[in-house]
Amino acid sequence: MRNVAILGVGQTNHARRRTDVSTIGLSREAVLRALEDADLTMDDIDSVVVCSGPVLFAAVNQPEKWLADAIGARNKPVVRVTSGGGTGLAGALAAVNQVRAGHANRVLVIAYDKLSEGALQYSISTLYDPFWGREFAVGIMGFSAAYWKSRMDLLGHSEEAAAMVSVKNHKNALLNPYAHVKKEITVEDVLNSKPLCWPIKLLDVPPISDGACAVILGSEDAAKKSENPAWIRGMAYYCEAENAAYRSMIQSEPLTIAAAKVYRQAGITNPRRQVDVVEVQEPYTCFELSYYEGLGLCPSGGAAELMASGATQIDGDIPVNPSGGCMGANPIGATALIRLAEVAQQVRGKAGAYQIEGAKVGLAQAGGGWANLRGVAVVSSEKG
Amino acid sequence: MMNDDLERVAIVATAQTQLRSAWGSMQHVDLIGATVNDLLNGSGFRIQDIDVIIDCGSDVLDGRSISNCGFLGAMGAHHKEESRVEEDGIFGAIYGANKVSGGSADVALVIAYSKPSESSVAGYYSTLSEPFYQRPLGLDHISAAGLLANQYLTYSGASEEDLITIAFESWRKASHNKDVEMLGAPSRDDIARAVRIADPLTAPQISRNVDGAVAILIAKESVARKLSDKPVWITGIGSAIDSHYLTERVPGKMKAAETATKFALKSAGISDIKQFKLAEVSATSSANEAMVVEAMGFADFGKAINCYSENSAVSINPSGGAIPADPIMATGLVRLHEAYKQLSGGYGEVKFDKAIAHGAGGLGMQNHCVITLEA
Amino acid sequence: MNNTFTSGIGDDAVLEAQINLPYTLTTGKAAGTFLVALDQKIILGTTCEKCQKVIVPATDYCGACGGQNVGFLEMPHSGAITAVTKVDDKVFIFVHLDGADIDLLHIFHGDLSTAKVGARVTAKWPESVEVASRITSLDGFELAKDSAVGSSKPFTGTIEPISEMPYKLSLNYKHSYGPHYGRMFDELATNQRIIGSRCSACHNVLVPPREYCDICYAQTDLYKDVSDAGKLQAFSIINLEFVGQTRTPPYVYGEVVLDGSATRLIHNIGGFDITKAKEILTIGMQVKAVWRPKDQCKGTLDDIEYFQPVFE
Repeated sequence: MRNVAILGVGQTNHARRRTDVSTIGLSREAVLRALEDADLTMDDIDSVVVCSGPVLFAAVNQPEKWLADAIGARNKPVVRVTSGGGTGLAGALAAVNQVRAGHANRVLVIAYDKLSEGALQYSISTLYDPFWGREFAVGIMGFSAAYWKSRMDLLGHSEEAAAMVSVKNHKNALLNPYAHVKKEITVEDVLNSKPLCWPIKLLDVPPISDGACAVILGSEDAAKKSENPAWIRGMAYYCEAENAAYRSMIQSEPLTIAAAKVYRQAGITNPRRQVDVVEVQEPYTCFELSYYEGLGLCPSGGAAELMASGATQIDGDIPVNPSGGCMGANPIGATALIRLAEVAQQVRGKAGAYQIEGAKVGLAQAGGGWANLRGVAVVSSEKG
Repeated sequence: MMNDDLERVAIVATAQTQLRSAWGSMQHVDLIGATVNDLLNGSGFRIQDIDVIIDCGSDVLDGRSISNCGFLGAMGAHHKEESRVEEDGIFGAIYGANKVSGGSADVALVIAYSKPSESSVAGYYSTLSEPFYQRPLGLDHISAAGLLANQYLTYSGASEEDLITIAFESWRKASHNKDVEMLGAPSRDDIARAVRIADPLTAPQISRNVDGAVAILIAKESVARKLSDKPVWITGIGSAIDSHYLTERVPGKMKAAETATKFALKSAGISDIKQFKLAEVSATSSANEAMVVEAMGFADFGKAINCYSENSAVSINPSGGAIPADPIMATGLVRLHEAYKQLSGGYGEVKFDKAIAHGAGGLGMQNHCVITLEA
Repeated sequence: MNNTFTSGIGDDAVLEAQINLPYTLTTGKAAGTFLVALDQKIILGTTCEKCQKVIVPATDYCGACGGQNVGFLEMPHSGAITAVTKVDDKVFIFVHLDGADIDLLHIFHGDLSTAKVGARVTAKWPESVEVASRITSLDGFELAKDSAVGSSKPFTGTIEPISEMPYKLSLNYKHSYGPHYGRMFDELATNQRIIGSRCSACHNVLVPPREYCDICYAQTDLYKDVSDAGKLQAFSIINLEFVGQTRTPPYVYGEVVLDGSATRLIHNIGGFDITKAKEILTIGMQVKAVWRPKDQCKGTLDDIEYFQPVFE
């Protein structure tokens, strides 16, 4: 398979509410920053992939069609790929496949969400089958909380361990210029915060954000002209039928399948040792614990211990979410691409205040739906 | 696609439900499951052979956010790679072709579906419009079709009679297509005298929305040759997007369809569109279809009507095209399925060695996609 | 499985559903200014910094070249029709305002027969508006035969733009039950029984019933009754309030695997002291459906009021 690299990355300064720009203006900001980072213009871009949260989060159907005119994409190939919260990574994968097929030399992926505009929980309830369960649904929070409770009992993913995730990510976000939640908190703060869908409490939950992220992917040829590419060493995105027989809600099978495939592609047999930095998309803190196990950073049931050991802290041996993860900013449609962008910046040495020294191999995880859409990617400063 | 180190890719099977005004007895999952099952039957492929599912549908039409999430089991996507392209299925076919051609998968299933009967088509189209300047005026697909038709007639010199003929021919051909549920084709007179739903267009000139699902299977060459007895090669792909505002488009023309066609021909290594004697094109109205035909290069400006006469060198929409049967998110993939059927003996004696298929999405057909096939 | 069957719920039965969502849309500077200007009977355009096109209505970015739009121009109210159509009672037109490069979409007030391409028109303003600062703050255009050709000038006034616009999306649906849901809800309504479909290969019973097993992709071959009691697989104590919620917090959200089935069912857990939920409920415990009185049953999952913990 042909090599694909990330040539440039841009993010907006995410905010609880951006009142100065429309959704297309927000996206344009990220696109211009990515082009600048890659030292390219839109003329150099062959194709555009747009990613956003579900259409009903905002009020424009197929918004990529409106967005195209704000980013100079007129007359270019433009498609929108969606995958709930994982849309940004799903979009990146579509772009990777365009480059691998020789269909495009440079693809711009733009992922965004302007969550301030809509009624988030209610729009999320429209995910559910109108016949069966919609009336009982509590967004994704209820379902996520319920299975966290199960994992608490079966795998020891305690409220304390999840609180440590929140503390870590909030602290890391202080260093991230794009994050808008800048709050240093303690484990006590998290445990005492208001239970929303117990065991999920207020401080286990990321903010609602407006934000966009753009990533430019290119062929090996295009990368030659780039100063500092980050190579895609593996990427996969798997799904699981949301109500299949005996669906394991304890470990995420699509995640482990995607991770196995990506590790094979990237030649990784021991992710804990071979990966330098990790970015995961934690829609609630409990998920980060789950991902430690799903990504093979520790054995099943070992997540609380890994968290407590300090290994995933920014100065640990396997830092997870040095950017602050979703706790610093969570524009859902952009979040997955932000995770990829952050690890790319890490291996390019461009992560600024939260740079993991000497980072060469980065691992990104993202996903959406009912925790049944899961993607993984590995990037490296080396082509392999 | 035409690159040395990449394997060629082929469509090895297709399947489609009948296109009906309303599939009242079936849910989306039922249409999807039936189509995938039909697709696999007799194809030489089993569900386990499929590496990736690309699905195309609309949250707004389905009445459900991330609607593909609820349909994954019916698509056979469980524990496979899956991606949803929220656009006409023909765009999904490009993704599937790229996935296989680039080496990430050996076999890809592309499925598109919709049930416009369950929702408001006007709601679907009006929510596509820009919310500050266009939507509050009540712009939807009907008014968009009228405005574009008015421009086409004003600038190209084509006549209302030409548009009536295009609609007439579409309905006539569709009445012979058993995959389109129809009571009977309207006469030329019926079309001329029907309600002027969006001046200058009468009601039968606006595409009729139908429920349906369609799926295709794409495989890399080495697999296609082993398991399929009728592979049809995907030789070229291209897509391009036009302006969101109707007022910014070139009057009377579909520039993005032109660009998409150019890309497709270039990647197929074909310089003359006239090499294609079979074209299956999408349209949301008679005038829009004329503009697509001209954009592709089959006729000069205003002269698309020549392609609908008996001695036309190119056969446009032997299936009847989209005017009699437009399942919105699946329309372009239906065109691709029809083209595959023609080239693979699905209609008896094979009359063509290549075909070009077209699909579009958005208000007034903003986003265009073209795929070329060769038997 | 055969798709033909008889059901108390007719073959073409539908479930009506509505999606009603409120939004506040952010306009961006250009639209925010343009819309307020309309209140003052001013029509604004902008110029693209890069390609110099004069764009009406004012937008922040130039779609043609991707450039930034700068400054506002006050446009003349006169122009010519460049496209027209009539749908029901409304005549839509494109208007090429004098001095603009991009045409404006709006409404024509007058007979369709007079709205010819090329006809001169002028802006028409409403007597009063229900809501200010909308595209409808301009009523549209009417004929202005032989009107002089105007020109634009840089806009020197000050406008306090809006930055947000409230919006409501209402979408109605009629979802077909389909063969399997039809049968399932029929059983619920008629017999207060829950049924699933059995996979012909793995023999797992799937609720709601479906044609294909998600895992095996084999067809399901039988409908099977499942118990209205089962294992509590997961639960959460809900305190969150949100638009469109159908229960009043606090309540317990639960996922149950009914005995005889292999799939999860979402419902509420009740019939016990919720304040002690953390102590009383355990993962894996048996819970049983508490049905509403038969005359209150409608043939939906809500016919079960809640699932109650079963204590040994």
